[in-house]
Amino acid sequence: MATQDPDKLMAKADNLTKLSFTRWNADWRNATVLYEQAAVGYRFKKENEKAKEAFEKASKGQEMISSPWDAAKHMESAAALAKELGHWNEVSDFYRKASELYRECGRSQPASDALGKGASALEDTNPDEAVQLYIEACEILEEDGKEQMAFDLYRAVTSINVKLERYTDAATFLLRWGVAADKCNAVNSQCKAYLSAIIVYLYMHDFQQAQKCYNDCSQVGSFLSSDQGRCTSKLLSAYEESDVEEIKRLAQSSPITHLDHVIIRIARKLPTGDLKELKKEEDKAEEQTLDENDLT
Amino acid sequence: MSVIDILTRVDVICKKYEKYDVDKLNADNVSGDDAFARLYASVDSDIESALQKAEAASSEKNRAAVVALNAEIRRTKARLLEEIPKLQRLAVKKVKGLSKEELATRSDLVSALPDRIQSIPDGSSTGAKTGGWTASGSRTGIRFDTTSDGRFDSEYFQQTEESNQFRQEYEMRKMKQDQGLDVISEGLDTLKNMAHDMNEELDRQVPLMDEIDSKVDKATSDLKHTNVRLKQTVTQLRSSRNFCIDIILLCIILGIAAYLYNVLKK
Repeated sequence: MATQDPDKLMAKADNLTKLSFTRWNADWRNATVLYEQAAVGYRFKKENEKAKEAFEKASKGQEMISSPWDAAKHMESAAALAKELGHWNEVSDFYRKASELYRECGRSQPASDALGKGASALEDTNPDEAVQLYIEACEILEEDGKEQMAFDLYRAVTSINVKLERYTDAATFLLRWGVAADKCNAVNSQCKAYLSAIIVYLYMHDFQQAQKCYNDCSQVGSFLSSDQGRCTSKLLSAYEESDVEEIKRLAQSSPITHLDHVIIRIARKLPTGDLKELKKEEDKAEEQTLDENDLT
Repeated sequence: MSVIDILTRVDVICKKYEKYDVDKLNADNVSGDDAFARLYASVDSDIESALQKAEAASSEKNRAAVVALNAEIRRTKARLLEEIPKLQRLAVKKVKGLSKEELATRSDLVSALPDRIQSIPDGSSTGAKTGGWTASGSRTGIRFDTTSDGRFDSEYFQQTEESNQFRQEYEMRKMKQDQGLDVISEGLDTLKNMAHDMNEELDRQVPLMDEIDSKVDKATSDLKHTNVRLKQTVTQLRSSRNFCIDIILLCIILGIAAYLYNVLKK
């Protein structure tokens, strides 16, 4: 039965599903079986385009006979084939559909896995879409209380954002990673996320933001007394004193070397820009506050 | 009357009297050909949402969520401050249907915006904690031996060549020890980091193991039930009466086959 020509199987299955004068109800059960066999046959013969279509139809069939799990699995196979063919918008559509079907089954982990696979497939060609898919995947897990699994997704988002040089976005996601780590009491990951965020702000040469971020994060007691917190305070004081040697030495120190490699790379490039400019900005800000005090 | 009925009735009544809704009419009127009004309305709504986030941040117990919210508020503020110059340019443009006083009020509104944006609380005023905490973190000043600093009063001490050499060797060995201890400390840092990561990974896997446990339990109980039913079915089939009938029929068939064979052989 499996050695039958996939074209014939497809034709038979199409016949079963097309409504005509003699057929009032489409026979999805048998049609689905035929579609699956045809899809496997095409995949074996490496006819990716036809295999993809066959998987799509098989998935539709499974949906019709109310088994969303199988439908989702077929959607994922179709999406993998679309990736090989290079139809990038189809890849994101298929993975999204597969994820919805998994959510129908009530299984959030495979749903977010499907979106994660889609995002990693689209990383090179359409990074914006990839970031969007990663965010949706994280949200699915967080809704279900499974933040632990979202760490890898946050890491991937951060690395894409840094690659695209969207540093504010990267820092925002690092802070969201910190929130997720806090919910599951993963103190080490939380402190690492905060340290990475501050390094990203410093790489953007935005010392004010880095200071504010550090002040915010110090409210979290576990960060303040951790290695990463101490390293951050040393880094910020080195920036204040415009001590380039100290900054370079801290970038080689152990808390920073244990971060994600993307962050290590930008940490090694610190300090970016002129430290004396930062001092001038700070002095100006201080002078302004003094004037306000004089008026009162 | 159930809640759903009440809701549908309220919806119908609201739709009927929509034309009397002043706020809604104003909102519809504003978004027209006037680019300034549109932009101003969007900036306004952004400021409102940022204020709401600030309120949420101040009432939030979870510190990490506060950090994330504050960062978002800061980003929105930076973005809004960038839009102000655009608004100022649009405010000066003359739009048909507007009086001169309206134009003046518009520029006033735009100049009031930066203050409003800056006044959105983003948690940056509570910054005094950094100074007091750094001192407790420095642990580099541990001293074991107060006479090891090398200062020897020349009155009470005369240097001979031997003692000089001895002291030099001692200093060299101390330096080597320090280097060795540095290497050890780096190794320990790496170990600590790996141990923390392993801890978090194991924490991640505990609920997964619980799920596997419950699923496998369910699967084994299903299998047990199926096995019992299978056993019952097979014993039914293999009841002795059916067995005897099977043997008798088999013998008859063999007899017939042997008879036919004999007949055909002839």
